[in-house]
Amino acid sequence: MNGTEIVGTLFREFPLAVYGSMLVGVSCAFLGVYIVAKRVVFLGAVLTQVSVLGLALTFLPVFAVPHTIGALAVTLVTVVIISRMLTGKKTPRDSVLGVVFITSVTARILIMQKTPKVEAAEIENLLRGDILFVTPELFQLMTGAFVIAMAVHLLFYKEFTFITFDPETAATQGYKARAWEMVFYLIAGMVISFATHMVGDLFVFGFLVVPPVTAMLLTRNVKLIFAVSVLIGLLAPALGLFLAFVFDVPASPAIVGVASLVLGSAWLWSLAGRAER
Amino acid sequence: MILFDRVTLGYGRKVILRDVSFSMQSGEYFGLVGPNGAGKTTILRAILGTLKPQAGTVTMRGPEGRPLRFGYVPQRDSIDSVIPYAARDVVMMGRYRDIGLLRLPGNADQLAVMHSLRQVGVEDLAGSVFRDLSGGQKQRVLIARALASNPDVLVLDEPTNGMDLASRVAMLDLIDTLHSRDHLTVIMVSHLLDDVANHARLIALVESGFFQVGPVGEVLTGENLSALYRTPVQVNQVGARTVVTVGVRNERH
Repeated sequence: MNGTEIVGTLFREFPLAVYGSMLVGVSCAFLGVYIVAKRVVFLGAVLTQVSVLGLALTFLPVFAVPHTIGALAVTLVTVVIISRMLTGKKTPRDSVLGVVFITSVTARILIMQKTPKVEAAEIENLLRGDILFVTPELFQLMTGAFVIAMAVHLLFYKEFTFITFDPETAATQGYKARAWEMVFYLIAGMVISFATHMVGDLFVFGFLVVPPVTAMLLTRNVKLIFAVSVLIGLLAPALGLFLAFVFDVPASPAIVGVASLVLGSAWLWSLAGRAER
Repeated sequence: MILFDRVTLGYGRKVILRDVSFSMQSGEYFGLVGPNGAGKTTILRAILGTLKPQAGTVTMRGPEGRPLRFGYVPQRDSIDSVIPYAARDVVMMGRYRDIGLLRLPGNADQLAVMHSLRQVGVEDLAGSVFRDLSGGQKQRVLIARALASNPDVLVLDEPTNGMDLASRVAMLDLIDTLHSRDHLTVIMVSHLLDDVANHARLIALVESGFFQVGPVGEVLTGENLSALYRTPVQVNQVGARTVVTVGVRNERH
């Protein structure tokens, strides 16, 4: 098969995989700019694991609810609990995130031990990411989450900017810094929950970090940072899927690999620019 | 303008300061002085309304009975920006309250930002990336942001911390100018006694279990400072300047 035929096959046979991965890529790349700016990159890794724990819980008879509902509920409850701790000063942020991360992973492993073998394998599939088998329902949920996230962030751009840059001064101007932080983390939790269910934790965490960092290496204009990050979130999944098909490798690692190659190139470019100056 | 009536301040169950009372009028230059950890920032947070008193009342009244507007200048080291905001973007944040929800900055806001940058003498840095600026330049941009919010009171937390002598003098001169030329009420927190002694008119000495407020000449005495810092402190006049020296010097004959 040549390149055109592969692209044709991808769009014909796996349209939701193509559009879904681009949708997740754009959503995570956009939110990731704030996550990198807030220095809570590990939050992405933590919430993906919390979301997977929520999925795993739904395999237990006592929590027999739809996977998406389970993942979303557990993620949002966790967000509410940890957002106060993240904005407080009593416990360091990385310690809070570390505790939640290890608790989630541990709980998931224990739950998997108590589920039938077939279901444990299904949970593992969710972890690795099953991009090629995105369901229409999940795609619609992710689209809804994307629209909500973009709408809230565009409508309240000023508030999120101020709270992210200098929450102390924002509070003196009457902004409820903790409430805005909570809104941000709830939206991030919702997107991460659906996205993890859809494409797996590797893809989601990768796109919360790699495109924003790449954009920050390439430009010092704030609007361009968002634009470049989103552009990488849009194009890298499409190219990654194409390469996964060509080289017969798993989709998620191929997609994150493409984004990482772009990051590496951006880093070399910024080094060269610095050397010239 | 600002009235503290037997105010107790703290966090959770922990009391930092008890029974603090003082009042401050419009046009004042008020200095809050004390050792690190004494509770200066706690009082500042109560003035700014971000910390509610555990007991007592804090009353604020702006011109014509409207709420007081504060322009807050935080310690510049507390801002650690990963995103490369331009200085003008940072100053624009001071306009956000007046712009309101769901509205974009307009021409009037852009003009106000440039006016504020001009007031503090860094108009030429409008397009520079904030995080790349020197300490003194960052401080001026943060003051410009506070001015852009049209404050009745300019509140500065350790504005000269970590600055070299020339930058420190220039910064204090700028604050003096904003106070005298633009008739701004100023509240300045500092652990540097000389800064407050030679610029503020009203001073509060703050330490756990010790709170004294009054005109600089009355409060800033060797006796008070020695009690506050638990070490011998002398206050001397050298020309028109007040000089604070710490410790007992052995005289040579």
